[in-house]
Amino acid sequence: MRLKTLLCGAAAGVALMATSAAGAQSIELWTTETQSDRIATIQLLVDTFMALNPSVTVEVVAVDENDVPTQIAAAAAAGTLPNLINAGSELMVAFGEEGILDQAAATEMVDRVGRDRFFAGALNMHRNPETGEFYALPFHGWIQGIWYRGDWFDEAGLEPPNTWENIRAAAEYFHDPAENQYGILIGNMADSFAEQVFTQFAISNGGRQFDADGNLVFNSEEIREALEFYVDLAEYAPPGPQTWRARDYYIQGRMAMFFYSTFIMDDLALAEIAASSLTAENFAELAGGSFDPELVEHTRMVPIISNAQDAGYGVVVSMGIVDSDDQAETEAAQQLLSFLYEPDSYITWLHMAPGGMNPVLRDIAANDDYMADPRGIFARYGTDSIQEIIAGLEAIQTFSLVDGQLFPASGEIFARQIIPQMIFRATWEDVPVDEAVAWAEAQMLGVIGE
Amino acid sequence: MKPQTVLERAENRFGWQLVAPSLGVIGLLILYPILYNVYLSFFDVQLVGDNVFVGLENYQRLLTDSAFYDSLTTTAIYLLGTVAGTTLLGLGAALLLNQDFPGRNVVRGLILLPYFAPVISVVFGWQFIFDPVNGVYNYMVVEVFNLTDERMNVIRDPDLGVIVVIVFDIWKHFPIAYLLILSKLQSINTDLYEAAAIDGHGPWGRFWHVTLPELYFVLGTIVILRFIWNLNKFEEVFLLAPNVQTLPIFTYYTAFTGVIDQGLAASVSVIQFVLLCGLIWFYVKKVLKW
Repeated sequence: MRLKTLLCGAAAGVALMATSAAGAQSIELWTTETQSDRIATIQLLVDTFMALNPSVTVEVVAVDENDVPTQIAAAAAAGTLPNLINAGSELMVAFGEEGILDQAAATEMVDRVGRDRFFAGALNMHRNPETGEFYALPFHGWIQGIWYRGDWFDEAGLEPPNTWENIRAAAEYFHDPAENQYGILIGNMADSFAEQVFTQFAISNGGRQFDADGNLVFNSEEIREALEFYVDLAEYAPPGPQTWRARDYYIQGRMAMFFYSTFIMDDLALAEIAASSLTAENFAELAGGSFDPELVEHTRMVPIISNAQDAGYGVVVSMGIVDSDDQAETEAAQQLLSFLYEPDSYITWLHMAPGGMNPVLRDIAANDDYMADPRGIFARYGTDSIQEIIAGLEAIQTFSLVDGQLFPASGEIFARQIIPQMIFRATWEDVPVDEAVAWAEAQMLGVIGE
Repeated sequence: MKPQTVLERAENRFGWQLVAPSLGVIGLLILYPILYNVYLSFFDVQLVGDNVFVGLENYQRLLTDSAFYDSLTTTAIYLLGTVAGTTLLGLGAALLLNQDFPGRNVVRGLILLPYFAPVISVVFGWQFIFDPVNGVYNYMVVEVFNLTDERMNVIRDPDLGVIVVIVFDIWKHFPIAYLLILSKLQSINTDLYEAAAIDGHGPWGRFWHVTLPELYFVLGTIVILRFIWNLNKFEEVFLLAPNVQTLPIFTYYTAFTGVIDQGLAASVSVIQFVLLCGLIWFYVKKVLKW
């Protein structure tokens, strides 16, 4: 009796496994797009893909960008890694170095999409210097800049915030905490935003993590000066440790400048749409609330900061294929990627955040369908400024790129959030700048030495 | 020892068979993780590749790390503040609501609300209250009462954050202390109060000589429960003020952020576990006298 039951169970189990192998291949995609409207769009694309490819089931999981290293570490330890990761290129390089990504599969995909179609700069940020393979595929990108109240600057007769002196002078001028008005938002919580903003200042002062020979040169006069300046600049920011969410103070008219990516174009234009309904006419209790309906027109952006040299910063967001023993899973992941790089699906993805998600494929950047976003945001900012942003993507500088050469260890350093912790210590824990930078370099050495 | 009969042996065996599933579950879900954690604390844990045995090095590094002592201090402040706060506020509320007044039942129910409210929604509410630019806290302190002319980011400040976390915990958890104390208060025999009154004790004397001794074990239980809960508390502190590094938060940052060091994090957990066991043993022996 018992044996019979056991046999029946085993037979049923084998049958079930056979059907699942022949039927559906199930894969998981992790993305750092956590906003619900974006997840809805990604889900729509994935649903379309599944309708076209009934043999593949895709599950989409949203992970906050600051939690990605943690979650990947935990998943690697538990053996529950996803099949595709959609995150910033620095993280992707780090995961590649940790042996998590299938670089051969990614390289094959680059060729399948068309190596010549990619912008060279974006592709180079993913090239493994030792093997020439790609850690992952560039997918889209944004650039960072200082967004500021052009009307206030004009009125005050101030220069645009494009140099250290101009930034400090404007921050000081507009900072009036007694009136609940602030000069500038920079990141100084221990998170990625802090690192992104600081990196632009550091590079504009000639600071580097690595020299051209690959030696760690972080503990330098250039970096110390940049951190010193950065800590001082925090004096003109809204109180306490701050991160990108404080951009709301700008929208409320309480702040003159803030660092942000081109993702804000979408937010500002949408805020404008929202503002037309959020009026005292419709909501009596909003009578005291101030919202500048012309905020989009009054907002200007400086993408390059100068001190010892010019520095533009940005991030390319990539698609990485996780190394899997199961060839069928890898193929399914590649199938999904092929679909996502097709013009229709690719443009649908980019239109989730016009201005924030810029194409890394040449032909898409020039595509009319791409320029005609459904909410008319490109029309509002003008074709030229969009093309300027896309061109800016080719010129971005990060710690991992030195003279066009990629230093993968820099990605590892980024993933460990060493620079954000250094900024937090120097700004809020009264650690002297010299000590904070020396501490950071010691931590970086530890990462490289592993 | 008397030789067992066949029947007794069979009964013994049957007994073990009955508890075996529970033992298995406890072993798997409680003992195994604890032992594995102790085991990990002796290793340099690699996320990819093999762990390297390092003996007591993790403990040595920890005991010379000033961040660990800062975290211990923060934990001590947090524990003292929250345990004393919830117990005293719970006691006060219970004594008040043990008096008869109109609408008492409604108040008794309402007072439990903070305890039932979901942590995440309450945390967002509190964060908004303390927002430095738009929050009502700074508005009251700076603009209404002019107590200071500087707006502060109380919740994210690494030094001040712990105060907000303590106040939040007291607010959220005093109802459970109140509930336990009130149920005991209601069962105190009124004869005792009459006898105390006949002995010439006023309200204070009756509280001191009747109420408090009667509540001794309830208060003791509350203190130890709050203590255990809060030494291990993660979500409230982390969600409300991620810069306040009590031991569990410190462990999390060590294990999962920066230079991910899960061996070191395991040794923090072991120390926390030993600390907790030691304190509970002392407390049970000396205070609860079990």
